[in-house]
Amino acid sequence: MSSKVVLKGKGKSTKGSKPSVDNSTSKLFKEWSTWTIKKAKVITHYGFIPLIIVIGMNSDPKPSISQLLSPV
Amino acid sequence: MATLVPPPTTPPPAPAAEAVKPEKVDYMDLPCPIPYEEIHREAMMSLKPDHFEGMRVDFTKGLNQKFSLSHSIVMGPMEVPSQSAETIKIPTANYEFGANFIDPKLMLFGRVYTDGRLSARVKCDLSENLIMKANAQLTNEPHMSHGMFNFDYKGTDYRTQFQLGNGNLLGASYIQSVTPHLSLGGEVFWTGQHRKSGIGYAARYNTDKMVASGQIANTGMVALSYVQKVSEKVSLASDLMYNYMSRDVTASFGYDYILRQCRLRGKIDSNGCTSAFLEERLNMGLNFLLSAEIDHKKKDYKFGFGLTVGE
Repeated sequence: MSSKVVLKGKGKSTKGSKPSVDNSTSKLFKEWSTWTIKKAKVITHYGFIPLIIVIGMNSDPKPSISQLLSPV
Repeated sequence: MATLVPPPTTPPPAPAAEAVKPEKVDYMDLPCPIPYEEIHREAMMSLKPDHFEGMRVDFTKGLNQKFSLSHSIVMGPMEVPSQSAETIKIPTANYEFGANFIDPKLMLFGRVYTDGRLSARVKCDLSENLIMKANAQLTNEPHMSHGMFNFDYKGTDYRTQFQLGNGNLLGASYIQSVTPHLSLGGEVFWTGQHRKSGIGYAARYNTDKMVASGQIANTGMVALSYVQKVSEKVSLASDLMYNYMSRDVTASFGYDYILRQCRLRGKIDSNGCTSAFLEERLNMGLNFLLSAEIDHKKKDYKFGFGLTVGE
């Protein structure tokens, strides 16, 4: 019974009796895309507001750093 | 059969009721419709202002025509979702820093909170008719972040939109002007995570004095709204939301007074909830806000006041 369960599990991920090469390619792709999305999320989280500030400080007319930091 | 002034373009087939009005409708030159997600725009603006509880101060400092920074402090009880019927509120204080960059072609909008949450919106005009919008709420907690991309294409008398979101969310919508006053549209969406798909239809009829819109989706939601502009300063709005799966219905009725120095919106609900929202312009660049929401059924009373400084 346990061996049947194991086979079923494998069958679900490979959709039948496909060769294991395809399985590892799609798995690799999934892992790589997950890693990219995770890194993109961290970069956006820390970098979005600094990006807006950099784009804003370089637009015309150029504001100065003192204007950026002063509370008035 | 043109007994009236012959139109300059090829005459389209005139509808039967048009014998009364001397204008001919040119079906080749209809106005561009409202975007699909804003189909209930007038009703949303009149009936759903952003009520808050506690104190709120927003300070916006413009460094430039296009670039501005904003600081915002909110102090008040926040509702915590609870299993019991009572609402649990916890007093919290939050500071929020934001930066906006507004250009005709590119708009960037970012807000970061004290607990590390980031809320970001980007709108970019890729070409004259194609607009890309992105919207993200990122948190430090895993699996609680959301992101969504929209691509909008605007044609002469139609608009289409394609949506892509995290959690394998895909959606598309299309809206077309059928007559100068009526526009019809539909949408489909598919969520990968919850394995649900849905289809919906919407219609909107507007004249100078009134707007009526309706939307139905196969998730069971039916939403109808009607807004009548009684005069230049006063509009009345009503709204009905019905879910035919869960047999849940909410009707609300409200008013919107847009006066020179203030804007007052009030509404009453069939759930026993009345609310009002006042924005008063004290001076150039200084706005005073008062918000009140009284829920008689749940015995939840929310009052808030605030100040907005800056444009």
